[in-house]
Amino acid sequence: MEPLNRRSFLTLSLRMAAVMGLGAHAAPAMAEALERIVRGRAPALWLQGQCCSGCSISLLNSEPLGPDQLLTRYIALAFHQTLSGATGHQAVETVNQAIEKGGYLLVVEGSVPAGMPRACMFGEETFPDQLARAARRAKAIIAVGSCATSGGIPAAEGNATGALSVPAFLDREGIKVPRISIPGCPAHPDWIVGTLVHVLQFGMPPLDALGRPRAFFTKLIHDQCPRFADYERENFATKFGDDGCMFRLGCAGPLTHADCNLRQWNGGTNTCIKAGAPCVGCAWDGFAAKRDFPFYLKNAQHRPDGGNPA
Amino acid sequence: MKESISVSPVTRIEGHLGVQIETDNGRITSARVVGEMFRGFEQILRGRDPLDAQQVTQRICGVCPVEHGIASVLAQDAAYGIAPPTNGRLARNLAQAVNFITSHITHFYLLSGLDFVDVAQVTTYGGSDPALVALRDWAKSELANNPVNAGGPFLPQFPAQLIRDPTLNLGILRHYLEAIEVRQVGHKLGATFLGKLPHAAALIPGGVTERVTAIKIVSARALLARLRTFIEQVYLPDVVAVAAAFPAYFELGRGCGGFLAYGVFPEGDDGGSPFLPSGVVVGDQLQPLDTAAIAEDVRYSWYSSASGRKPAQGETTPEPTKAGAYSWLKAPRYAGRPMEVGSLARVLVAYHDDRNPVVKPAVDGLLKATGRGLPDLVSVLGRHAARALEAKLLADRCADWIEQLVPDQPACRDFSIPASGSGIGLTEAARGALGHWLEIKDHKIANYQCVVPTTWNCSPRDDHDQPGPLEQALVGTPVADSKSPIEAARVIRSFDPCIACAVH
Repeated sequence: MEPLNRRSFLTLSLRMAAVMGLGAHAAPAMAEALERIVRGRAPALWLQGQCCSGCSISLLNSEPLGPDQLLTRYIALAFHQTLSGATGHQAVETVNQAIEKGGYLLVVEGSVPAGMPRACMFGEETFPDQLARAARRAKAIIAVGSCATSGGIPAAEGNATGALSVPAFLDREGIKVPRISIPGCPAHPDWIVGTLVHVLQFGMPPLDALGRPRAFFTKLIHDQCPRFADYERENFATKFGDDGCMFRLGCAGPLTHADCNLRQWNGGTNTCIKAGAPCVGCAWDGFAAKRDFPFYLKNAQHRPDGGNPA
Repeated sequence: MKESISVSPVTRIEGHLGVQIETDNGRITSARVVGEMFRGFEQILRGRDPLDAQQVTQRICGVCPVEHGIASVLAQDAAYGIAPPTNGRLARNLAQAVNFITSHITHFYLLSGLDFVDVAQVTTYGGSDPALVALRDWAKSELANNPVNAGGPFLPQFPAQLIRDPTLNLGILRHYLEAIEVRQVGHKLGATFLGKLPHAAALIPGGVTERVTAIKIVSARALLARLRTFIEQVYLPDVVAVAAAFPAYFELGRGCGGFLAYGVFPEGDDGGSPFLPSGVVVGDQLQPLDTAAIAEDVRYSWYSSASGRKPAQGETTPEPTKAGAYSWLKAPRYAGRPMEVGSLARVLVAYHDDRNPVVKPAVDGLLKATGRGLPDLVSVLGRHAARALEAKLLADRCADWIEQLVPDQPACRDFSIPASGSGIGLTEAARGALGHWLEIKDHKIANYQCVVPTTWNCSPRDDHDQPGPLEQALVGTPVADSKSPIEAARVIRSFDPCIACAVH
């Protein structure tokens, strides 16, 4: 497709509108939609803090919209540390140019080492400084993954870096750019892609009190669990690998809002619970936070509460 | 003329890495490899329930979570005195092997590819492959219309000598797009047995919670077939083709000359007889592995904890203002030596060891096909070749493991957690030798130390000022343009660094 000048662009829009049976009044909206495709997939910038890259790897599992299609049809991703051609000073310049231009969707993966800024560096700059700079110039900020949305494991009890979630960091910095939180450890690729495309095409999606898109985080794992009947009939698994409700093994389904049981993972291949594993609550905002709230109750007789959590 | 070059951040690896290079007359004379991100898993694990460990430690890395999970359950298996039943061992082997394959494919195409392939050349594509046509149209539109960050994230690249021949160049670019689909297949195969990837819920001490069924066996066979076709028909040939286009890289990036492997993929229900054996290779000499020889120095690392400790007595106390230190990585050493780990290490150990009958013929075959000798494998290209070769050997072995699965037999055993005890889990991640050291006191984790592959490969200098393997590999590399140190980048990426892992 040859690049179009403005005049031929508008002519094309009029013609397409006519072909589609729309009146000439549809041409501007058509032009805008085409504009998005031809000129500007919405600008985006992806920054990583204290992360494991699991959410990026999860995004690479996106289907049927593959990540390459996401990057060439929907967003113009200026930079991603794991994918970018740019290296070294080129990477620093690329990010700084994007920040200077502004108006991008800022996606943040990982927590912010607010108590030990040098625990995450990008070139010569600490990640907290870079994030604050990038956040101020963003159109919207999407925190991806539990480390970004609630601190996750880096922010667990006993951590030495004073790790903060992205929303907590933004609040501390007084940055009021609209924000969305997509929890999960990792975040499901559908949650990421579905939210990005909603923002681009339809504006901010409906969010709950924690800033999470209602489309994915309204129902409890427990309420959509394939073993719910076992729960109701009080058929409880007593050891790993058993049939039955895994509540007594420590399943965090009753705490965790996410649609994993319906959406399933890895293109419909499986889920934690279908694989016989209790939910560990990776999309719950208390995930892994407390030493004394382990994932499983197998060791329960040795817990201070005697195996009866409040 | 002396120059200082800062390659920071190093992109297209996992995590946050910087490399500070000194050159003289266009050749690297010394390098400092700087791990730039810290979280502190070892402290976070202290005081937690031991059974939290395989879930928490998987989050050390989103690229190799399975391997961390396996190291952790192996340490717990040892501490609890259990071993998985056959189905459980096979399911673990399959998921781990398939994660290696997925990781290697991702590394060659998505991480290393852009060091060799000229993306902008796609604007000249005149064929009809729909994926390349779409990429061409995107690239043209970007370059014409996007004033800032055109072609991101794939552009810009260093202006460098990349593959010129359009057939080869655009062929590899097409395969990059195919690799994106194929790595999804690898994750599906892993998730078939582990529930989801990344970060598998079904991995536990005593086996896996997932059950083996006939339909899972059928699915696994089908998914594996796709992986094998790609490895044999696309991945391996592309590695050979890139090697032919950049032969100088058989002479670059040699490294420290010592190689270490812990052994991986147990073939025996007692957890022994690893498909890829353990061992140490120095020069041409194979020695048996002695884990008591492993210690971590921290003189140049941002830790105030003691240096030279063995992992079972290890401590991790971060001190980012420590004078003289320059990295978040510790410096693991084996009998005082730096050691390289990874596919090349595993392949060299297996080559010199007689126990695995498939590795030596496969290596000799590849060397013959490329007209190279064994010493040439100790290089940038040797590392890429070792990964591709290993992917093929593992995919072949996965076919056998699938055939050994028996539906309706258990895949896990029950266990109880002692009030105190200890265990060591030694295994391999795609990037190399991985160990978790667990100590339990009063029903809680008293100490947990990890020594991770990239910790070995990207380590800083040790207490005796010996540089780490990558720091050594960079020395002697010519850098034609200090503003575009592509040669250094190729050496760095040949180690497949993962810094989230290395620091943890």
